[in-house]
Amino acid sequence: MSIPSARRILAATAAALLLAGCTGADGEEKSGTADSSITVFNGANGAIVENWNPFSPTQLQPTNGTMYEALFWYNLANDAPPQPMLATGYSWNTDGTELTVTAREGVKWSDGQPFTAKDVAFTFDLIKRTKAINATNLDITSSVAKDDKTAVITFGTKSFTDEAAIIGHTPMIPEHIWSKIPDPEKTINQNPVGTGPFKLKSFSAQSFVIEKNPNYWQPGKPQIQNVRYISLATADAASAALTAGQVDWMSSYLPGLDQLLKNHKDLSYVNTPTMTTSIFTCAGAEYGCKGPQTDPAVRQAIYHAINRDQLNKLAGGGYAATASPTMLLPERDQKWIADPSQQAIPGTGDAAKANQILDAAGWAKGADGIRAKGGERLSMTIQTVSGWSDYISLNDTMAQQLKEVGIELKPTQLSWNEWNNNQVQGRYQLSLDSIGLGANSNPYHIYQPKYASGTTAKVGESARTSGNFARYHNDTVDKAIAVAAGTNDEAAQKEQYKAIQTEIVRDLPYIPIYVNSLLTEFNTSRATGWPSNDNKYALPASWKIWDNGIVLANITPAK
Amino acid sequence: MRYLSRKLGFYLVALWAALTLNFLIPRMMPGDPVEIMLAKLGQKGPVTPESREAIEAMLGTDSSRPLWAQYGDYLAGLANGDLGVSLVFFPAPVSSIIAQTLPWTIGLIGLATIISFLTGVGLGTLAGWKRGSWMDNLIPVTTMFQSVPYFWLALILLFLLGSVWPVFPLNGGYDVYNVTPGWNGPFLASVVYYGTLPALTIILSSIGGWMLGMRNMMVSTLSDDYMVTAEAKGLRSRRIMMRYAARNAVLPSISGFAISLGFVVAGSIITEAVFSYPGIGSALLQAVGGNDYALMQGILLIITLSVLGANLLVDLLYSVIDPRIRARG
Repeated sequence: MSIPSARRILAATAAALLLAGCTGADGEEKSGTADSSITVFNGANGAIVENWNPFSPTQLQPTNGTMYEALFWYNLANDAPPQPMLATGYSWNTDGTELTVTAREGVKWSDGQPFTAKDVAFTFDLIKRTKAINATNLDITSSVAKDDKTAVITFGTKSFTDEAAIIGHTPMIPEHIWSKIPDPEKTINQNPVGTGPFKLKSFSAQSFVIEKNPNYWQPGKPQIQNVRYISLATADAASAALTAGQVDWMSSYLPGLDQLLKNHKDLSYVNTPTMTTSIFTCAGAEYGCKGPQTDPAVRQAIYHAINRDQLNKLAGGGYAATASPTMLLPERDQKWIADPSQQAIPGTGDAAKANQILDAAGWAKGADGIRAKGGERLSMTIQTVSGWSDYISLNDTMAQQLKEVGIELKPTQLSWNEWNNNQVQGRYQLSLDSIGLGANSNPYHIYQPKYASGTTAKVGESARTSGNFARYHNDTVDKAIAVAAGTNDEAAQKEQYKAIQTEIVRDLPYIPIYVNSLLTEFNTSRATGWPSNDNKYALPASWKIWDNGIVLANITPAK
Repeated sequence: MRYLSRKLGFYLVALWAALTLNFLIPRMMPGDPVEIMLAKLGQKGPVTPESREAIEAMLGTDSSRPLWAQYGDYLAGLANGDLGVSLVFFPAPVSSIIAQTLPWTIGLIGLATIISFLTGVGLGTLAGWKRGSWMDNLIPVTTMFQSVPYFWLALILLFLLGSVWPVFPLNGGYDVYNVTPGWNGPFLASVVYYGTLPALTIILSSIGGWMLGMRNMMVSTLSDDYMVTAEAKGLRSRRIMMRYAARNAVLPSISGFAISLGFVVAGSIITEAVFSYPGIGSALLQAVGGNDYALMQGILLIITLSVLGANLLVDLLYSVIDPRIRARG
């Protein structure tokens, strides 16, 4: 297995079920349900340091989702509208500067106090007052509760595009506790009180346990009594723990998974490809990018020359799904893809077309079989992280495929820090990375960070985080993104996305390869009802926040 | 006294040089801690470019501060015993991370080093005493274990004794499912059980050196004149072996042992990675992965202090054992 997957698929959670039927402290025999317990591996490695602060970037992963909940929840595994959690409804004024939220009634914090719209208003007011926890830089001007059911949040600027961040990614916190915390960004929140299906039971540096919240507002949930999280150093250790039955839920790419699971009938997996593996190119010559990849013809030729079926077989284990040149997911985002012919990329490459594009652009074949133009050889370096075995095979296979059309690809392997730093600073020619997993499935969350020139910077300066690493600049795209941000009318947005798609499919600053697999493995001997390929009721990855609470609240102890 | 003060002066300079390197080397690494924290956060869920400002505000980092000013803060902090706040585990202080992980490393690697030394020296004594016997054949076997790469040996043993024949647990420091950490019997028993396989790999891979060194010293000691005298006096052979031969032959090994104790803290990274052991090596790995300068500096400081301390101890012990060293100074 590759450690790489451990990053992309960062955390695999493994839940190992404590032996049901152990005698309780009182010696009473309990039924399987009463002390049902599973073990989750969410990718944690090394020592676990306690931090249940739902606003902290170093929080332990189950904090958001199992303990704290947001107003709504977005299921990124399908295109369903946001599902109501702590709110039952929301509405914007026409300017997009005032959001009215209706809080759910009958919800209790895990300490028994009632949850009201006052807590909602307090949460956003705290974010307004504390820059360090304002992760999406919301321009909140006021946040008040009109009554116990209604909270009104006003913004200084048009905030439609922040909708997903506001209602789907802001954890609701209890006013009666957090109003007494002086530094909300620095507390480790040792006794977390939330509305989620679970609450903290015990903690140690190697493992912690969360237990069922008896006050949970969804009747009959959760059914699982205890969930234990463990830390494992490597993907090898995770795979060994899975087959030994010590882990019930984890997300790791394990090569030869079908073979591995054949001998273990309790183990199953689900594949939810969500991230498009792409070749990032340093495309913007005006920002200081150097190399043949600054010529759009070269990028188009690479796009056509690679044989994606072969890449999937040799590097993706056959688990990858077809990508769309629009960088959206062909199935989930069907309604956003304007031109049906751009729904999916043909699997077999088209070398003839690639040759034709390069010939037309003036790249002529040299004596060594590599093309050149004006004394510049068509040779580029492509970087990836050492240890990401599937990406390394991708690079090696593409190098062979591209050689046939006269392009030389020189793969390099770097440490994660250096690889990431090169992308941020623009000091690369080609780089393998992936795109996807926005705040919700609206294409804005892919097009704005990756293609708008506002999120890029000159080579040598830092582009914004997860920003426009390609140094791509296109006025048509910039304008369309700005217009789409100013409305929450889907039809109007589609119009703009259509304009963007026409440009980026031609310019290809990011060359899509395939939608990489996201494999999640389950042990069904202690719990059932996990998401399946037929029923993706949540993104099943054990490292995903928010969805973790949905999955754990829905599974049931095995009979 | 002059010898002592010169030695102490030398160690002070060495300490200062090591501290300065501790400060500089992490800062030469590519990458920016805020960027790394953001990228890692992005794996749990979406992050927006604006998150950067929030995280900078939270960490209070000011990357524009000149290096020499950071160096001054660092030395002043060390003088007050303040190692700073970890970034990877923000807001936990570095000292608490070290306090949490160091006992595991000292327990596992320290005990394994002591066991390896005692067994190796014991076997070496016997092999030297009865040279030419079957004991000599042990030496190539143990040196083979020493020469295969350690991680490979560890992985093979883990695979065989953890997966194929599940005699030992696959990972971790203790049975997290069934015992509660603390001074109780089941927990301690679990720690010993979980530590056995990692300790075994360390012992297997280091015993050969001790054994070979001890055997060869025994052989050369046995040819000394006082051995003949001892035999002529009619002493029991066991007494000759232990009191006359082994006692003299073990001297070089003792100094080697003291130095290897100094490296106990540093030598644990691979062991801890292979066995998912919760010690200081895995904390160092995480610190490097996250460009966590404060935590790296803290751990490197502990390593530096233990190596320097062990060397100082050997120097001082030698001046007691061997007066010639003092005189030359």
